[in-house]
Amino acid sequence: MTYLLEARALRKQYADKLALRGLDLQIAPGEIFCLLGQNGAGKSTTINLFLGFVSPTSGAAFVNGLEVAANPLKIKEYLAYIPEQVMLYPHLTGLENLALFSSLAGYRYSQPELQGYLTDAGLPAEAVRRRVGTYSKGMRQKVGIAIAVAKHAQVLLLDEPTSGLDPKASNEFSELLRRLSAQGTAVLMATHDIFRAKEVGTRVGIMREGELVDVRPTAALNAQELEQLYLTYMH
Amino acid sequence: MIHSIAQKEFVSTLRDRRFVVLSGLVLALLLAATLVGRASYRSLQQERELAQGTVNEQFRNQPARHPHRVAHYGSFAFRPKSGLSLLDAGVDTYTGSVVYLEAHQQNSVNFSQAQQSGSLIRFGEMTVAFVLQLLVPLLIIFLCFGAFTQERETGMLKLLLSQGVSLRQVAWGKIRGLSQAVALVVAPALGLAAALLFTGEEFAAGPDLLLRLLLFGLSYALYFFLFVVGSVVVSARQASSRAALVTLLGLWILGCIILPKATANLGASLYPTTTKAQMDAQVHEQAQHGINGHDPHDQRAAALKAALLKQYGVDSEEKLPVSVAGLQMAAGEAYSAKVYQQHFAALNATYQRQNRLSDWAGLLNPYQAIRPLSMGLAGSDFAHYVHFQQAAEAYRYMLVQRLNHLQAGMGYGDKERRLDARTWRELPVFAYHAPTLGWAWPHLLLPLAALLLWGVGLSWLGLRLISTTSVT
Repeated sequence: MTYLLEARALRKQYADKLALRGLDLQIAPGEIFCLLGQNGAGKSTTINLFLGFVSPTSGAAFVNGLEVAANPLKIKEYLAYIPEQVMLYPHLTGLENLALFSSLAGYRYSQPELQGYLTDAGLPAEAVRRRVGTYSKGMRQKVGIAIAVAKHAQVLLLDEPTSGLDPKASNEFSELLRRLSAQGTAVLMATHDIFRAKEVGTRVGIMREGELVDVRPTAALNAQELEQLYLTYMH
Repeated sequence: MIHSIAQKEFVSTLRDRRFVVLSGLVLALLLAATLVGRASYRSLQQERELAQGTVNEQFRNQPARHPHRVAHYGSFAFRPKSGLSLLDAGVDTYTGSVVYLEAHQQNSVNFSQAQQSGSLIRFGEMTVAFVLQLLVPLLIIFLCFGAFTQERETGMLKLLLSQGVSLRQVAWGKIRGLSQAVALVVAPALGLAAALLFTGEEFAAGPDLLLRLLLFGLSYALYFFLFVVGSVVVSARQASSRAALVTLLGLWILGCIILPKATANLGASLYPTTTKAQMDAQVHEQAQHGINGHDPHDQRAAALKAALLKQYGVDSEEKLPVSVAGLQMAAGEAYSAKVYQQHFAALNATYQRQNRLSDWAGLLNPYQAIRPLSMGLAGSDFAHYVHFQQAAEAYRYMLVQRLNHLQAGMGYGDKERRLDARTWRELPVFAYHAPTLGWAWPHLLLPLAALLLWGVGLSWLGLRLISTTSVT
């Protein structure tokens, strides 16, 4: 089986810190894998390694069967990324930001199409032509989601994507992820939000000090059990 | 991809209020400097044309006189301003603009603007070149210091790169977009200058001026491109916007203030010039070895007289068909002119060595490459000044020798006679023709090559550095 995301003995050593200790991970199409862990556990490093933003010390990361280090640009055709804080360009409107990022990914959309992506992501129609500098954090996050969706990526890499979103927006986001998953998109989401992970994820992995210490299918756990499990590893 | 990033950078910059305020100030300064430069050009040019016309008329309208009296009456050569000096006054402000042309001696060019201005002139003039060379780079630094650091600090760099763009493409897009924004600030001033130059009747518009203006604009475009690329590279290599700004300002101070001063001081120490008093003494001492036409007891004058008597096969001066005094004057003039030429040439060579050192420093510092290039294209550099000085001397020598030969042709007893007033109207007046770009070109090759090397080198090395920069 070809996994859309795969890590083989992936290790990352920074000058003074071992950030990732031989990660082995496979994520299949349609799977939503949630990485839980404290700050500094290695979640963001994992995402950066899949994006090719940092080089592994040893081991390899693969996207759609292609080794990231050898194909840093090619693999990005399959990926979309949403960071924790989508800042965007404050002097451009939401529509202009989306048009820019879509064109960089090779997509040229008409204005109504762009508007459609933005409103589908939950951005109010009246806001799409306003400069992003006037947006709230949640609104910017929605533009980030629209950017990812408009790229039609097979893999979504999400680094705390619901941080700062209100419950309604978070819920809409979960719904969107489920929809994309149903279409075969593989999702790797780093999060602190245990309940969101349980609600939307197909599997959860718990990271501690650069190590994936446990992986469970979410169907086998309820929210309390997951929280208990998480707290067990954190102590 | 590069186009999209460039467009985003351009639009974002234009919508940034800080840019609007800063660029508005720089543009206002540029436009003001252009208009002030034009007004200054116009008044100085009118003054000089009027003065040149007046002295020419006075010379031509002399009454019947002895030619040597006319030679001592002399004339003046006023240096016309070059059209592009309204953009870059170069050394014009500090070099003189008028030279007194008389028999027996080559005077230096006097009456510089700086001599006649207040002490504020020491702080430099607010010319277009000053704004372009020093202030626009500052604007570029303020515009570009956060080009990469801000993207990194806000996480936007990762978002950009996740779309499949390379760091190199991001860099080129930013360089292009930011360059467009800079062009928007500078182009109106250069456009205004071009309009003034080609519509104002006081300017001698022609292909040479057009070519000079074109190269002037292209040279500055390359200079600004260097600052944009350099600022983007520094921004990419620094960890924070603050560090990038401090580094860039430090480089600006080093390149635009410290290095030029240090090079000038080094040049003056390595190639010291003689003082005017020293040179006058040396010239006077050496001129003693030539014929003194005013001294009847001069031995060399006596020898020339003897040679003439022998040449014409006569035994007394009275029987000679030529005036001995006139030919003695001519020989004396030829000798003293040679002495002056040697000393002026040595002095100019020293100045040129000093300037050359600064020109070579252009390989280390783009500011020291654009400065001589800009002055040279504007026709206000030292080489153009020397060209005028030599043209004035050539005219002086021709005039004085012509008068000496008129005297020689008067025969024996010329001192008691005068030539008709019409004689002076047949003599040519001083009319200076500024050199063409083709003449100036060899002087401009080194700074131009330095600027081009900077452009290629910085683009190549800078983009290599950017492509290995950290994303996180």
